[in-house]
Amino acid sequence: MNAHSLQMPGIDHIRAHFVALLEDRKAGIAQHALAAWDGETVEDINSHLEHARNTLHQIAGTAGTLGFDALGATAERCEAQINAHLDGPYADLAICPGEIIWCIDTFVEACTSIIEASGST
Amino acid sequence: MKILAVDDDPIILELLAQILSVVGTHELTTAANAAEALGTIAQNGAAPFDCFLLDIHMLGLGGVELTRQIHQMNSYAFTPIIMLTARSEKSYIERAFAAGATDYITKPFDLTEFTTRIRITEELVLSRKAHIAAAKPASARLKVTQAAELLDPSRPFTVQGIKGVIDYTAMENYVAQLSRSSLFGSTVFAFTLRKSEAYNDALAAEDFRFLIRDVAQVIADTLSNQHFLMSHAGNGTYLCITRSGYHPDMAQLNERVNISLNNVQIMTVDGTELYPRVSAGAAIRLVWKSGEQISSALATALTTATDAAAEYERLKTDFFQIGKSA
Repeated sequence: MNAHSLQMPGIDHIRAHFVALLEDRKAGIAQHALAAWDGETVEDINSHLEHARNTLHQIAGTAGTLGFDALGATAERCEAQINAHLDGPYADLAICPGEIIWCIDTFVEACTSIIEASGST
Repeated sequence: MKILAVDDDPIILELLAQILSVVGTHELTTAANAAEALGTIAQNGAAPFDCFLLDIHMLGLGGVELTRQIHQMNSYAFTPIIMLTARSEKSYIERAFAAGATDYITKPFDLTEFTTRIRITEELVLSRKAHIAAAKPASARLKVTQAAELLDPSRPFTVQGIKGVIDYTAMENYVAQLSRSSLFGSTVFAFTLRKSEAYNDALAAEDFRFLIRDVAQVIADTLSNQHFLMSHAGNGTYLCITRSGYHPDMAQLNERVNISLNNVQIMTVDGTELYPRVSAGAAIRLVWKSGEQISSALATALTTATDAAAEYERLKTDFFQIGKSA
């Protein structure tokens, strides 16, 4: 957690915006992950993984600054797994590794917790 | 400072606005992608930006290519560019520095680190503005900047348009922020142009700048098979850092550079041929070094090169003295 940032004036407004965006971002990542899992061609699978990776990358870059360290770390882990697959020896095969789906499932769960906690406050 | 920040994540742009409002008096303009940024730059021609903050990873034109395009504009040839990068993008950083970035800030932001990088950049901007003012500017800003930078040859000045050659401030920032693992396989060394002070005294400012550039080009060509970054550190001394385990035999490398210098024709604007030669210092491995040890290694690389150049001249003088007495 970046305590300095959390004490900044105006940070609550940005946190609220981040959480508001999280619902759509979470849904988009989940949809791309499922589409990659169900995909039948290399292009289809890798394209969906890239879309999911791009959004995970954005979340990994901001969550920590806003105090959502665990979420940021999970997003970074998912992004690293996708990168490892896309840059790895099996990137030209029509497969989506189960570890990626498992990691994204954990990420989606973390998003849901934050959104629910935000709604209850 | 008047800053243009470019990032495709709206949350990052909001954070930048908030943080910059806290850490100083800055005027921030934002753009969501490279195309919008280029449009904004064009619209602000009358009041140029002092600094750019660019996301390294953007859809479409990325931060590295945008850096290259911005530095190709005369108004922004020397403007500091800070890259915004995730921890996972360290591999892009070297390319960003090679394209002309002066520094980088890691996401997620740490306010202390962010403030430090902005303050250093602001000092750089103010320093350059002061030199421009001291140079009693003419109309074209590029010429003014170059003239200002040439007032003192002991100051590093930017050599542009050569692959792998970067601003000296960028080199310091690049090395300072490398992790230990990145330093594994890295070696730093330097070359000094012999009689650089004499060249500076004898040549017009423009000719001296061309000479520094031509020598840099020859060194870069000699190192072209290696992964390297180089910058002019002032006084005709070039600092180089190579990666991937290359640890040069400096005597051989020095000879190759001087043979290449012998084979190219370097001339002043009026056609007078120059015969520059360089002396090389020690090659220092950076593995297991950190913090002050890295700064010390850079200083040693520079000092050994300038000492080698001075020693060469001293020996040459002594040789002729012996010749006279014989």
